Amino acid sequence: MSTDTKIPTVLMENTSKWYDQVIGLNDVSLAIDGGVTGILGPNGAGKSTLFKLLVGRLKPSQGSVRLFGIDPWKDTSPYRRIGYVSESERLYDWMTAQDFVSTLARLHGMTRDEANERTEHVLGFVGLHDVRHKEIGKYSKGMRQRVKIAHALVHDPDLIILDEPLHGCDPIARTSIMNVIRELGSQGKTVLVSSHILEEIERITEQIVILHNGRLLALGNLHAIRGLLDKHPHRIMLTTDEPRKLASAFIGEKPIYGVRFPDEGKLEIQTNNLSEAHSVLPRVIVESKIAVSSIDNPDDNLESLLGYLVGGDT
Amino acid sequence: MDEQGRGLSETVWTRLDRKAGAIVELTIRQLRHRISTWVVLGVGMLLMVMLLAFYIDAIREDFDAIDNDGDSEDPDGDGYPIGQENMYGTDNYNEFSYPGYPNFIFESDIDWNDQPRTHTGNHTWVSVVGYFTPTWINYDPPIWDQWSKTVAWNDVEDCSDENSDFDSNLRWETACIFDNGTYLMYGIGFTAEGTLEVPDQYSASWGRLTDYVEIEPHPASMYIDEDDIDWDFKLGTSSQGFDDDGDCLKIGWIDSQGNPIQANMDQNRNGIPCDVIWTVNDLGEIISIRADSSVDEDPDDSKILGESSHRTFIIGTGKIAFVMILGLFLPLFLALGLIRDETENGTLHYLLSKPIHRVEFILYRLLGYMALVGAFVIIMVFMMALVTSVIGPGDDLIRLGDFPVWLGIAFATILVLAAYGAVFNTLGLISPKYGVYICILFGVWEFLMGLFTITIPNATIPVLSVSHWAIQMIDAVVLIVWPDTLQYQEMSSAFNLDTGLSWFWHPPVHTLQTGNPVVALIVSVTLLLAVTVLMVGMGQAVFRNREIM
Repeated sequence: MSTDTKIPTVLMENTSKWYDQVIGLNDVSLAIDGGVTGILGPNGAGKSTLFKLLVGRLKPSQGSVRLFGIDPWKDTSPYRRIGYVSESERLYDWMTAQDFVSTLARLHGMTRDEANERTEHVLGFVGLHDVRHKEIGKYSKGMRQRVKIAHALVHDPDLIILDEPLHGCDPIARTSIMNVIRELGSQGKTVLVSSHILEEIERITEQIVILHNGRLLALGNLHAIRGLLDKHPHRIMLTTDEPRKLASAFIGEKPIYGVRFPDEGKLEIQTNNLSEAHSVLPRVIVESKIAVSSIDNPDDNLESLLGYLVGGDT
Repeated sequence: MDEQGRGLSETVWTRLDRKAGAIVELTIRQLRHRISTWVVLGVGMLLMVMLLAFYIDAIREDFDAIDNDGDSEDPDGDGYPIGQENMYGTDNYNEFSYPGYPNFIFESDIDWNDQPRTHTGNHTWVSVVGYFTPTWINYDPPIWDQWSKTVAWNDVEDCSDENSDFDSNLRWETACIFDNGTYLMYGIGFTAEGTLEVPDQYSASWGRLTDYVEIEPHPASMYIDEDDIDWDFKLGTSSQGFDDDGDCLKIGWIDSQGNPIQANMDQNRNGIPCDVIWTVNDLGEIISIRADSSVDEDPDDSKILGESSHRTFIIGTGKIAFVMILGLFLPLFLALGLIRDETENGTLHYLLSKPIHRVEFILYRLLGYMALVGAFVIIMVFMMALVTSVIGPGDDLIRLGDFPVWLGIAFATILVLAAYGAVFNTLGLISPKYGVYICILFGVWEFLMGLFTITIPNATIPVLSVSHWAIQMIDAVVLIVWPDTLQYQEMSSAFNLDTGLSWFWHPPVHTLQTGNPVVALIVSVTLLLAVTVLMVGMGQAVFRNREIM
């Protein structure tokens, strides 16, 4: 986040949004500027509501929303500088990707030629150049996501908002979309990406916003937040044929304060310093000469992060 | 140059044009990709083709010459048409009564109680009951309009004892002969010289037959379209019309007894026999036509009936097929979902996350819809205009004079499509769920008000409908392009010509007391545009504050 005095790209001040009786977003204040920011939160946390408020699809019930200092509900001028990929899967299936993206490009005031040129470029950028004259209805899910991203990038926006862009994509599409997002971030654009999967966001950015039940839980560097988490009780799950023998090897190691045997062939070690535990783990295993088939961190996910942040309720 | 390489000459307007172009184009392409679009356009085209088939069929029958007064017929089969028989006072329904043939002229009779009861002479005797002693008999009398059956001389029975008396069994309309040569006549006729004795309580008449004169029968065609409407197109109240076929003046006509006929020639009581009074106002509009009986009653059909029917078809097609049917169904299928469907499909945000104001967006969507239906209507109107103007009545190869009326119909339909499109789109926005039902109710109301407007144009309530004003527009255009439609309409009722023009067309009502159809046209167009603008504005007001979930 920038610290100078210029107007932040995204600014929300005490913004709330109710749908009748249901709260979508509750008193959120944030300022985001430059680089990729991950918006993390489980389903129903308010990620899409936050984005819809940003792009002027919804009107805030309370508080204010500013993009480049302008209220997007009242004024369409920020739309010139925004690219928005919604979570909706729907597209004009009868159109080709080239048609779809260039038609929308013309809504930015481009001529037909400009729009076609930009569309070819942007479809190349998201890796759809070869199939750009195929009907969107014949595309796979990952290709459809990339068409949506292409339409959001065609006018070279300064702020790109991607609502669950990796949802439902296969691993190859996922990697390619992540590369696109990282590339946009490195170009100095402000990119907001939402996800309910911590690992996805971790692979894209360190700057995160965590939403839960419409509230802003945390905002900042993912590793810093994680560091806080590491200092607290944490579990590491090992799969081995000789769990009891391996457990004895851990006794006396400083960061580990307890062990459990939850299942046949499983060993759970308990620690209050995750990073230190991970540093001793390989040595102990090697020294004990016991075969270990997998090491899992069951607590290293969004749920446990949220659980920690909200005080162990989840 | 800005960062996207656009020149400084670029203005806000050129950008607006591009956005409008993109949305209009997208809208047309979307509509083209929907089956329902093709179904509704196909049904619309089918309707027009059926109307054309009906027109072609009707034009073949109707525009043939019609004998409007029926005097070319010959119901009794004597070879003389009614018109000719009327001139000679012969019976139209009796084959033995026709021009030139012997006619019985009554001279005298012996009634049931007259005295004396005998008469001698050379006569044609009719309905005789009595004893006749002849001195001369015409055995071969001419056939004439008999009052009674005539004696078949070569087949007269002897009077036997039992039929020698009138109380006997002698059959009515027969005769018998006594040995002394006296005939007993029982209700029969004959031509002979002699003495007749009529018993008490019975009667007999006699007279003479006129000479047979050979009169050439007139061809029936002489009595078709033989009395055309004569009007010199002069303004003011004046005596017009001429009894071309003479069946009002009846000069030289005789009755069945050969006496001249005194005709009743001045039903409209202006002191001029056998004329027509045309009352025309300052604007050249005919207020009334009053004709003396049998004047101008069998006009040239291709000129009057053909022209009237042709105009009726164009006006009826314009009002019902174009304004009321296409006008309602095209927007119901194509405009109702212009924005509602995008919301339902979840694709609206692609368009609205672009720098376009929602107010503009509605306008461009409607423009896209108008481009499609407008093109369709123009093609349909042109097709109808071309076919009807080529095969329609008249000597010209193409009735170019019809085209401005068709243009007016196209214009009225396009304005109606815009108004209904705006109404339906707005209703779809206000109530995405029940909008379609509200639209159907609205459509039924508009259809009924349209029918009311056609039949009773000055009724008050239809003023509240859109169709009323479009129909007014067509009425006004018709009067501007074909001012003589008023004359055709009045003529249809004055001379009892059945063309339907009086049902389908009335002079425009909303002329702001000027009586000028141009005023009615301007008023109607203004109101239709106002409805459109109002409804677009309403839609924009609703849509502007609509959250896109």
